[in-house]
Formats: sequence, structure tokens, C-alpha cells
Amino acid sequence: MWKQIRDREEGKIRSESFAHRFKSNRIAQLQLSNYKDIVSPHKGAVNSLQIDLTEGRYLLSAASDASLAIYDVQRATDYESGGLISKHKCLFVVDKQHDFGHKYAISSAIWYPVDTGLFITGSYDHHIKVWDTNTTQVVMNFEMPGKVYRTAMSTLATSHMLIAAGTEDVQVRLCDIASGAFAHTLSGHRDGVMTVEWSTSSEWVLVTGGCDGAIRFWDIRRAGCFLVLNQSSTQLGRRPPILKCSMTTKSLVGQTLCTKPRAAQRKLSHGSGSRQLPIGRISAKVPMKQRLHPGMLSTQDRATAHYGAVTGLKVTEDGMYLLSAGSDSRLRLWDVESGCNTLVNFETVRLQTNKPIQLVTTQDSDRVFVPCMRSVKAFDMWSGNTCATFRGHYECVNSCCFSQQDQELYTGGNDRQILVWSPPRLIDDEANEGSMEDQDNWSS
Amino acid sequence: MEEEERNGRGTKVRSLIEKATTSTALEVDPRLLQAIKSVVRYSDSELRIAAVTLMDLMKQDHSQVRYLALLIIDELFMRSKLFRTLLIEDLDQLLSLSIGFRRNLPLPAPPSVASLLRSKAIEFLEKWNNSFGVHYRQLRLGYDYLKNTLKLQFPNIQANMVRIQRERRERERRSKENFLNKYEYLRQNLSSIKGGILSTVDEIEECLDILNSKEELMSDDILDDEDEEFRPLELRQMRLDAIKEGDKVHENSDNKVIFDALRELYKLLVTKHLLTIQEWISVLLRVEVTDNRFRDSTLKEFIDIQNRLKSVKKKCEEAGCSLSSTSKHEEEEDFWEEGNAVSVKIQSSAPNNKNEHLDMASTSHKVNDDACSSRNKESNGSDTKTLAGRGTEVESNSPRSKLLAEAPLIRWSSHLDDWGSNRIYMANQRGLELDNHWGRVDSDAVIPAEKVAELNVHTSLYEEEQVEIQPCRAPLRKGGLCQRKDLKICPFHGPIVPRDDEGKPLNQNSSEDKVNIELGTDLVEQLAKQAVKNVRESDKEVAKKRQIDKQTLKRAKLAKIREHNEAVLRDAALPSTSRSATLGQDGDVTGEGNLSARDRKRSLASMLRKKVTSKDRIAQKLLTSKARDATIRITERQTWGSNALWVKPCLLARD
Repeated sequence: MWKQIRDREEGKIRSESFAHRFKSNRIAQLQLSNYKDIVSPHKGAVNSLQIDLTEGRYLLSAASDASLAIYDVQRATDYESGGLISKHKCLFVVDKQHDFGHKYAISSAIWYPVDTGLFITGSYDHHIKVWDTNTTQVVMNFEMPGKVYRTAMSTLATSHMLIAAGTEDVQVRLCDIASGAFAHTLSGHRDGVMTVEWSTSSEWVLVTGGCDGAIRFWDIRRAGCFLVLNQSSTQLGRRPPILKCSMTTKSLVGQTLCTKPRAAQRKLSHGSGSRQLPIGRISAKVPMKQRLHPGMLSTQDRATAHYGAVTGLKVTEDGMYLLSAGSDSRLRLWDVESGCNTLVNFETVRLQTNKPIQLVTTQDSDRVFVPCMRSVKAFDMWSGNTCATFRGHYECVNSCCFSQQDQELYTGGNDRQILVWSPPRLIDDEANEGSMEDQDNWSS
Repeated sequence: MEEEERNGRGTKVRSLIEKATTSTALEVDPRLLQAIKSVVRYSDSELRIAAVTLMDLMKQDHSQVRYLALLIIDELFMRSKLFRTLLIEDLDQLLSLSIGFRRNLPLPAPPSVASLLRSKAIEFLEKWNNSFGVHYRQLRLGYDYLKNTLKLQFPNIQANMVRIQRERRERERRSKENFLNKYEYLRQNLSSIKGGILSTVDEIEECLDILNSKEELMSDDILDDEDEEFRPLELRQMRLDAIKEGDKVHENSDNKVIFDALRELYKLLVTKHLLTIQEWISVLLRVEVTDNRFRDSTLKEFIDIQNRLKSVKKKCEEAGCSLSSTSKHEEEEDFWEEGNAVSVKIQSSAPNNKNEHLDMASTSHKVNDDACSSRNKESNGSDTKTLAGRGTEVESNSPRSKLLAEAPLIRWSSHLDDWGSNRIYMANQRGLELDNHWGRVDSDAVIPAEKVAELNVHTSLYEEEQVEIQPCRAPLRKGGLCQRKDLKICPFHGPIVPRDDEGKPLNQNSSEDKVNIELGTDLVEQLAKQAVKNVRESDKEVAKKRQIDKQTLKRAKLAKIREHNEAVLRDAALPSTSRSATLGQDGDVTGEGNLSARDRKRSLASMLRKKVTSKDRIAQKLLTSKARDATIRITERQTWGSNALWVKPCLLARD
């Protein structure tokens, strides 16, 4: 490591590359943290975890006992065993006793992407609530037609403040925080919608996965979906143009690729709204489908991405790939542009089927953490190999959340625990760790 | 080469472990365990192999194998850090295999070993968590999960030990405090305690002296003629024995009273004083005080007293006292004597039985008189001597006798033992081991003084005085007086009114206002009756007093009888008010009643008032009876509190 630092100082390694290496090194060493405990106040399964997107400091957790809590993961509230273990107690907890608390399990809790002043919860009591973090009061309440499985807000959005909600109902609804009403109703799924995810490349594109096994892409400016992923349309490996790029600059390329069309879009959207404009490269590359829209061919409309329900979706940071998890215990990596299954074989054992699961990727999208029953597995995104298995929970893991900033993984499960997985401490800390008590103790 | 060697070694530890786990015993063979440890100690690779082997064994479908493997795991876990880190990775698996908390993975057969395995695993997990939980998050997690989510019962060894130790310390502290309190109490009340005991001893000795002095007179002549003759040794011995036997004072009518007293005192001595002194000695032996002088001196004194008590007890036994004989004796006691005897006993510790029973409310006047005379006769006879000796004592404390005259009489019962005392009692005085399946028992629980008082609250049932029903005494045609006894109205001669010896009604008013009386207002009639009764009673009393006065001149003892009788009479007069108004009220009501009776005919208003008065009367009656009850209760309570001062010494004297 010291050699690398010197190399970076001398300019042999670019700082970005150095940081990347350093981070991936840390991520490879993730293990159950012994010095950081999150004290979970929940009395039910932890369904949702999210670290805030602005500071990377506040962890929002929601549980099936209708409680939600926020923790400061950087500053401990107290220490135990002579400062060896730092305890992170929740900053506040909202439960059923709260005046506006949810009645039933909270399935999803997300931060408002712009700042930590708001967060959004969706619950099985058919409500989506928008909370003010500082006063812990509900500022907005949306009543949905059924249990809310998942809510999502676009991290890129600059021109809308829409919460996409996947519910028991076949329709995906978009709740507008600005107006306090439903802005859109997207119909197409034939069963409840387990998971929703905004594209990371376009603020208008929404991806939803339903219990009918379909993954649909929606352009929220238009009626109907423009793409249904079909598990039988495949391509082997990643697309050639991406492969040409070096691994190190991949993310850069991705960024340039997605920023450009976005700028164009913004310009266009502000202009004439009457003409249907294609969304960047997707529409350009798939003119057939575009033409078929909105009345897509019924064969295409009936395509499924998984056998059984789609329980988890995750778009890579560059927005070019989509990872989906289904109740058929498969993870599939999709090329968003072509809409093809890339046939990467992830060595999953079994996935939880009855609840939506949260998948999480690292910043450079080469690791994906997937809750597999009682453990969380880290897969290499492109090869599908298992890099690590995190075993610590005693019951099924529902959610995981990765702090890009600290390279820490937080997992929440049915055993009510929130576990912290972190890289081992630095060397000087390790020296301290081997205290007298934890030594070999041979009597004879 | 190296690889091979490692394999060779690995198989060594593996074979050792497998050998150790094939046993059917509930413990790992210590030699094998030792071998495993020594092999594993110096080689990390073997430790790794051991960990893998043990985990494999834990997966075996037999609880016995798992159990032995778990025991080995525990041994290595407590010792090797590397082993801990290896094992902790699979802790959830290890726990599910050893505790079987997953429903789809129950513990295999045999069930008995499975339950043992389970409890052992829980115990080990707790131990591991206590020792290494700080360093292994997994341990904490597993422990927390089993404890808080699955609610498994952990033995909680550490906490239990702390708790038990704390309890023991607490108990010791409390008993020490208790001893100190007793010690302080003893310090302050030493003289009275000693005095109480010694006075009993003195009395016993006096009694014995009296008996012996009598005996001497009797046995002198026997001894005299014995001296003159010479007999063979055996015969002499026999004779001596016979004399000795004859020496024994036998109970007869003459010394019955003394024997009674002796028995009483003996019983007291054995049941109370000996125990108290033993208790105090044990307290003194166990108490821890800085200043030992008082303790040592007192202890010495008490041991002396104990010895003396023992010797006196022996003497008593020689004289023929035993606990069973006294209990037999008390059954023979008749009712009045008991009552009388208590008053005697309270005052001067005069001889009598211990367990008397006083019933003042049910003693009627006649019985009283009879008893007096019988008592007089009795005292004339046998106990002259004894009482003569005590006469001075009675006279000497005349203020006491005054107080005694005021003192209420209370049934004898065990609550008198703690009269006015503030002692704390141990809940478990006998020191029995009460720990059983009902749970832990606080062996140092004490009953606070107020609780003791509460427990000793003396209830007394109200017993109405038996009122003597006066005969009608109306003159009969055939001569003589009607002897019918009716409560109010004789069916032949109308209302019962006081009459003179010839049967003429005494009260003129009543004859004049006959109509009045017949109206049903028995008030006047009753009042008159009461008045007569009172007069008669006072007459009787005066007569009795006169009689008693004569006797008191002779013997001081009669004073007590009189006092008692007075009390009885007073009490007899009090309950009679439940049938009519009290004496004081009588006069007023009578005048008013007469007046109203006259007015009654004249006006409606008076009629109305009359109705009101009858109601009033009932109300009045209720009120007075209530008030009387209250006063009785109050006096009783007062005596419990304030009179304790002098009641106590008197009790001691009795003792």
C-alpha cells in the first residue's frame, strides 16, 4: 500500500486509479465488523435500508413492525468494552405510537435524493408518506390502491419530483411530491409490482419488475412501456463497444455516454412537448420497438424476465446494465440497450421469494451484493463468480445497502438485526485489537 | 514430502478426534483429550484440520457424536485463538447443529443425549460469549439472537453467581444487624431480664424451702429411731432408700397450693427462662462488637444463671415436677377458681396453675358470691401459711394494687408474652431448611414489631351478661307469691313490677299510670325495675362488702377477690344497659318520661313526641351501646399501650 502511495505521489499512478484500487482492495476485505454495532430498535424484520445520498452518513431503516429509524453511521452514540465497540443507536425512531406512523409493516424507506431533509416510506397499510426528517412529521400522504412494495425516486431528476411506487396493484403509480397528487398511472403489468427502479442514465426512464415475472421499461413522458425484457433473447457477454474500452475507464465512458443524451433531453423537454422524442440512444438503437409502441406486439408484451416474480432490480451506476433477481433464484444481468440477457451465471444458491430484496452494487459496478437467504453474497458483476459470502444473520436477509464513501455494507434481516460489514481496521488498530483476553490459553 | 507429513499429522489428529467421539460415555476420555490438545497446540495446520474434522463430526446424524465433538470444541475454543477464528466463521451452523434451533434441522436421536447436547451448547455459548464476546461480533450476535429472538433460557451462570453472592452478603449483614440490635436491647434491659429470671428462681427456692421445712418436721422421728439400731449393710441401704423415698414430699391437700405454685414456676422456668437464657447466650457468642467487656461479663453472668437454672430445675424434678403432670392438673381446675386464681397470680405470683382462663363477662353475681365463700373456705384451710408470707408483699405495694383495681382483665394468652415489647422476630425461628420447590426462601426474613402486634391483636367476643329474671311475685289467691319468671309480662298478673314481700307493687307511679305502661312503653317499668335491681344490687354489694371487709382484715388476699368482684359487678352493670338506659341517663329519662306520660293525653303534639321518644330511645340505646363498646375498646387499647409499664413488671412477677 505504501508503495502505491509513493507511486501516486510520483505520478506513476493516476489518483483516480489509485483510489479505485484502494477502494476495491478494501471492499475485497469486507467482514463482519466487530467494532461497529448498530443497535436496532426494531421488533420486526428489517425490510429496507438506505444510506443517505448526500453525506453518506445517515442510515435509514424500516422494519415490518411499522417502525423506522435513522442512525448516524459515522459518529457512535456510545462505546462499550473500553471503547472497543462503538454502538450506534438510532437518532430517532418512528413507530406505531407516532401520531402519523404507519399501521403495518413498512416495506420501503428511501431518502429524498437531494438532501436529508425528507424521506419517503411505503407501507403495507397502503400509504406512502413523505416525512420531514427534522420534525419527524408527515408532510405528505399518498393513499395507494394496495400494499406498497417498493418506492423509488430518481437520483438524477431535475425536472420532476416523482415517487414511483410498486404496489399490489397492477398499475405503477407516480406520486408527485410537488403537487401532492398522482401524476401518472402506468399500466401494463399483469400482477403486483414488486420492485421499481429509476434509470441512472435518464431521469425519465423507470424500470419495474412485477410478480408476473416481467421487467418493463417506461418512459414516463409517454403512455405505455417501451421495453419488456425477455429472458430468451440473449447475447453472450457484454456488448462489443463497451468491451473495447479499458476496464479502468469504463465508468468514465459510461458517464460521458449518459450525460450527453441527458443534456440533450433536457433541452428538448423544455422545448416542444408535442413531438414524441426518442430517449437518447435506446430509441435510436431500437427503432423497431419504438415504432411498435404503444401497441406493442402481444408476443413482446408477454415476455418474461424471470419465472415467477421479479424480486429485485438494480441498475448499474452507468445505467447500461440492469441486474434483476427473481423468485426462480436467478440473478440476470441485462444489457439495457439491447434488452438482452447477457447470460452471466451467478452462483446463487437460493433467493428469498416472498419479499422484495434489495440488491446493491459498488460504485464501479464490479461487485454486486445479493441477499441469499441467511447470507449475503458478493458476486463479480461480469463473471458471476462469488467473491465472498457474508454470514452473520440468523434469519433471511431482506436488504443491503452499501456506503460508497466508507466502503461499508449494511445488511438487515428478519432477525431484526442490522449488521455492519466493514474492511478491517488499519494496522495500528489491529495491534491494539489483540488484547490480553483474546490470546491462546493453553493450560498444559 | 512436507505435504505428506502434514497429511500424516492431520490424519493423526483426525483419528484421535474420531476415536474420542466414538465413545458412549458422557465425557471425553481425558487422555485422548490431552493427546488432542498437545498435538494441536504446536501446529496450526493440525488445528485447522481439527476444526474441520470437528465440524464434520458435528454434522453427524447422532447426538452422542455431536455431544462429544462439542466438548472437544469447547476445550479448544477456550484455548486457541486460531481455533476460535476458524470456528466463529461457521458459528451459526455450529449453533444450529448443537442447539437445533432451526425447525428444519432438529437434533438427531437419541433424544436424551440430544437434550443434554442442547443444554450444554447453550451453556457453552454463554461461557464463550462472556469470555470472548467482546472480540467476536458473531458470538454476540448468536447469543443475542438465541436469547432475545428465540427466547432461549440461558443458565446465566455469571449473573446467578453474582446474585447469590450478593444475597449471602446481604443476609450476613442483616443477621449481624439483628444480633447487634438484640445486643443493644440486652444492654439496656439486662437488669430486668436478669431480675425476671432470678425472681422466678427465688420463688422456686422459697417453695422448695417451705416443702422441705414441712418435711423435716415429719421425718425427724423416723431418722431418730433409725440411728439407734445397727443393721446389716444391705438392710441399711434398703432402709436408706426407703427413707429417701419417704423423704420425698408427696402432694397432699396441705401442700397442694405450694405444689401448684411450684409446678407453675417450674413450667415457666423450663419453657421460657431456660430458652431465653440460651438464646441470649447464643446472641452474645455470635454478636460482633468492638467493646468486649460488657459482652464477656454478661456472658459469664448468663452462663452462671443458666447453671443455676439447671440446678433448680433438677431440684424441682426431684420434688416431683414435670411438664406432663402440670398439664394433667390444669384440666381439673374448675371455672371460677381459674378466674379467681388469675387475679391472684397477676398480683402476687401466688401459687396457682398457669393456664387459667378468665371469663369475666359470664360470671354472674351469685356465682361470684359462691366463689367468694368457697375461696374463703379454701384460704382458711390450706394456704394460710403461704399467703401469710406474702401478705407483707401485697401491703407493701399498695399503689400497685390501686392500679390493679383499675386494670382491665384480659384473657390469658400467649400475646401477653410480648406485652408492649418492640421486639423483632425472625420469620423462621427454628432455622429449618425451607428451600424447596416453592422457590427460594429468605431465611433472614424478620417480622417487624408492628406486624407482631398486628398478629397478636386480641379479639374478644362480646358476651352479654346473663340477666337474672325476676319472678313475678304477684300475690296469689291461695297465698304466696307468683314464682313465674317472665321477662316483661306475666301472663296472669300483667307486667312485672317490683313488689314488696307481700306482693304489693312498690312503685306508686307505675300503678297510677298503669294504662300508660300497658300502652307498651315499657320504659318506665323497665326503669323502675332497673332502679330496684340497682338498689338490690347495691344492697347485696354493701352486704358483701361488709362481709369481705371482715375477711380482708384477716387476710390481704381477699382484697384481690373483692377487686375482682367489683370489676365483675361493674361489668355486670354495664352490659345491663343494653336492655335499658344507663343509670345516669335513667333519672333524666324517667322524669321526662313521667311528664310526657302525663302530657300525652292532652295533645296530639305530645302523642307525636311520644312516638319520637320511642324512636329516640332505640337510637339512644344503640348509641350508648356503641359508645360503650368504643370506650371498652379504647380502654383496652390504652392498657395495651400506656399500662404496659406496670403490666409488664406484674407479668414478670407472675413469671
